[in-house]
Amino acid sequence: MHFVDRVRQRLDDAELQHNLKRTRGRNAASRAAAVAAFPDFDAVRARATEIRARVLRDLDLWLEAFEAKATESGATVLWARDGEHACELIIDIARRHGVRTVVKSKSMVSEEAGLNAALEAADIRPVETDLGEYILQINDNEPPSHIIMPVIHKSKEQVSALFARVHGTAPKTDIEALTHEARAVLRPQFLGADMGLSGGNFLIAETGSVAIVTNEGNGRLCTTLPRVHVALTGIEKVIPTLEDLSTLLRVLPRSATGQAITNYVSLLTGPRHAGDPDGPEHMYFVLVDGGRADLVGSDFEDMLRCIRCGACMNHCPVYQTIGGHAYGWVYPGPMGSVLTPLYQGLDKALDLPQAATLCNQCSVVCPVSIPLPELMRRLREKQMEQGLRPWRERLATRLWAWAAARPALYAWGARIAVRYLRWLADGRDRIQVMGLAPGWTAQRDFPAPAGATFRDLYARRRQGRA
Amino acid sequence: MNPGASGVRAEVALFVTCLVDLMRPSIGFAAIRLIESAGYAVRVPAAQTCCGQPAYNSGDRRAAQTLARRFIEQFESYAFIVAPSGSCSATVRMHYPELLADDAEWAPRAQALAAKTFELTQFLVDVAGLTELPARFDGSVTYHDCCSGLREMGVKQQPRRLIGHLPGARLIEMRDCEECCGFGGLFAVKYPDVSGAIVQRKCEAIRSSGAYAVALGDLGCMMNIEGRLRRSGDEFTEVIHIAELLAGRDV
Amino acid sequence: MSTRDDILGRLRRQLGRTGSGLAEARRRIRDEIDTPRSGPRPSPGDDPERFIGRARAMLSTVDGCATMDEVPAKVAGWLRAQGLTTRLVIAPAFAGLDWSGAGCEVRAGAAGPHDAVGLTGCFRAIAETGTLMLRSGADMPPVNSLLPDTHIAVVPRTCIVPDMETAWTHARAEWRHWPRAVNLVSGPSRTADIEQTIVLGAHGPYRVHLIIVG
Repeated sequence: MHFVDRVRQRLDDAELQHNLKRTRGRNAASRAAAVAAFPDFDAVRARATEIRARVLRDLDLWLEAFEAKATESGATVLWARDGEHACELIIDIARRHGVRTVVKSKSMVSEEAGLNAALEAADIRPVETDLGEYILQINDNEPPSHIIMPVIHKSKEQVSALFARVHGTAPKTDIEALTHEARAVLRPQFLGADMGLSGGNFLIAETGSVAIVTNEGNGRLCTTLPRVHVALTGIEKVIPTLEDLSTLLRVLPRSATGQAITNYVSLLTGPRHAGDPDGPEHMYFVLVDGGRADLVGSDFEDMLRCIRCGACMNHCPVYQTIGGHAYGWVYPGPMGSVLTPLYQGLDKALDLPQAATLCNQCSVVCPVSIPLPELMRRLREKQMEQGLRPWRERLATRLWAWAAARPALYAWGARIAVRYLRWLADGRDRIQVMGLAPGWTAQRDFPAPAGATFRDLYARRRQGRA
Repeated sequence: MNPGASGVRAEVALFVTCLVDLMRPSIGFAAIRLIESAGYAVRVPAAQTCCGQPAYNSGDRRAAQTLARRFIEQFESYAFIVAPSGSCSATVRMHYPELLADDAEWAPRAQALAAKTFELTQFLVDVAGLTELPARFDGSVTYHDCCSGLREMGVKQQPRRLIGHLPGARLIEMRDCEECCGFGGLFAVKYPDVSGAIVQRKCEAIRSSGAYAVALGDLGCMMNIEGRLRRSGDEFTEVIHIAELLAGRDV
Repeated sequence: MSTRDDILGRLRRQLGRTGSGLAEARRRIRDEIDTPRSGPRPSPGDDPERFIGRARAMLSTVDGCATMDEVPAKVAGWLRAQGLTTRLVIAPAFAGLDWSGAGCEVRAGAAGPHDAVGLTGCFRAIAETGTLMLRSGADMPPVNSLLPDTHIAVVPRTCIVPDMETAWTHARAEWRHWPRAVNLVSGPSRTADIEQTIVLGAHGPYRVHLIIVG
């Protein structure tokens, strides 16, 4: 389905619009309160930006350093070209260890890779354990609509109906009861699973560890109870030291949910040691390229600083209006409008870089200062260069620029345009149907021009004065 | 800055902007009155056209560069360049240096021009220190922060301070005054449904503020908001450019 | 070519890496790891007071006693007041205390699915965020702060440090082998996935109770 049609569908979906309205602005308000309560935020944000930028300048070497430490701690580091390759590697690991059930904590790279479908096809059962992701999985593998709040588009009534149908329990609309019902269903899954799969918020080169940031505790269960732990993440997630982790942890939760820290941050380093009473016997890292390496050193390198907090979508007027599903791939909002064309192909997401007002609020709140509107503008330039814009649009831009470089012609054109618009207004102060820009008048009136151009009036006044 | 022998502080070049030229010339004249009342001489370079923002935002970098060079030629000889628009002044101040960064001849000229380019209220408050206004406005007014002015130029307190100096005017803040109105240039035409839903929220915020008028600093956003208010049956709420609010409607 | 070499090779091409620059850059990386630099940190204050305030803000409950010997009585008293069982699984590090004298039935070891109350110590407690830093090991099983519905942590006042960076510095100095898991725990498990309404006890403990000793 075309982007514009998906948008129309979302705007016409009264239930979705009701759900969006309920949460609109809440995350933004939480972030604002958290930032106001933390006087050092700007300085820490500058440092976080610097850390992420510094890593990218030597990404090859930081990855080597990480790999060496992780291997020394007893983990196995595997490298995947893309999502499909990552799925193959994970299925291989599962087969090697006789895995039948995989409990998963949230991983956006796993969404990129389509891991659940691949596991099922290989007769391995994936169980999503993040509450939101679990709700989506039992709802016919619905995709998430937000990177950290996957079911922000659903109401408790919708969750209730789903639980009643799938769990065979009595419908309940008490959110606490729904949450604890999911807890009860999932606890045996953790205890019985052979493999835990996690994402990774950061990879720490100093220690060869993965850092996982969660509130629910499912990340800890997935990485503590099963025999095998696989951390699946992108190659750009590496950071140098534990001090850098400390800095990034001061901006990530505040930007995401307005928390000073999440309930759990787990730093996992290799498999269980001799004498340890718990922990996995085997630990693997699957580091995915999937288009990332090509961005290093490119015009779009800034995007790789992203730490997946979701602040950009929480503050985006477009996302807040249409929700995440309209974006069409796993990453919605401003960061998705940049990542989707870069990872999926420019021609696969022509609308995304265009469907933004460039209001710049996303880059103002980004904890690592990614100039998202700038990157969207660069993508628009690429579309133009590659002839991916409609010919009428290209022609119109060219004509405008051509005329604007010729003042006399431009002034004449402006005069004609005023006359044309006045004719359309037909004596009224507004135009209600405009053939040249039907999109404008579909939604609002077009105020009629005053009557003469500024330059003509100004010239007349100057003459009068002289 | 002290007035020179002529009694005039310096020459300010007014960048009228395409939309004001075409749609609301009175905003241009209001800007002139304000700058003059602060003691500056206003010049209006005759060959000015467009800063290139539409081409720049559409991804036509070459066309934008051509227009940027033209603009620099037209305006660089003046002490200050002022536009009654946050987004047009931001194009010159924030984007020309990047646009011409790889051009050894033009990069320094772009930077020099950027440094002396201001949005109208920013110039009036931060540079000119204007406190006495040539008009009055009897009524309550709410101010919408247009995105480029706010987030690129840093225009936030300046218009509010000037409204504070305006006899008769009472400022009422609306909720979410910093949220985009959904205009976004060609966005409003390419994605009318989304744009319409966003501007609808803005209109609701304006109406629930209870203010008699909404003032703002960009004509594009103004046409978007006014057009939506009128389409949705609101014939009452006045939508007014900050220049005309402060200087009075044209005489 | 392996995928690893392909990815690293492409990164090197993109970064314009040359042979001679490589060795120099590797040294620089080594230095950065060996001499970690902190970013801006909030200015310190009274650490125990900040810790307690922040821990409460994260919905932990906090109690205190003067000496380690008083811990079992404090634990028993709190559990009874909450109407919870006084049967608990404790980290082996605390096996030496007089639990039965306080009326607690304890098992030293790792928690299983049926343990209702788990007790741990902590490596450090971070004042800035009210966070416990727990490390894994035979004497301190991570499951004890994870599987039971109630987690009690014993926090010696001397363990309270201003921030995470200080805790890492201590960790580097004290740990001969880096533990498998370092868990930072700030209050009970929670979720806000449904309608952004916060519910405690998503998958981990419903309650976290801290006993500050000293």
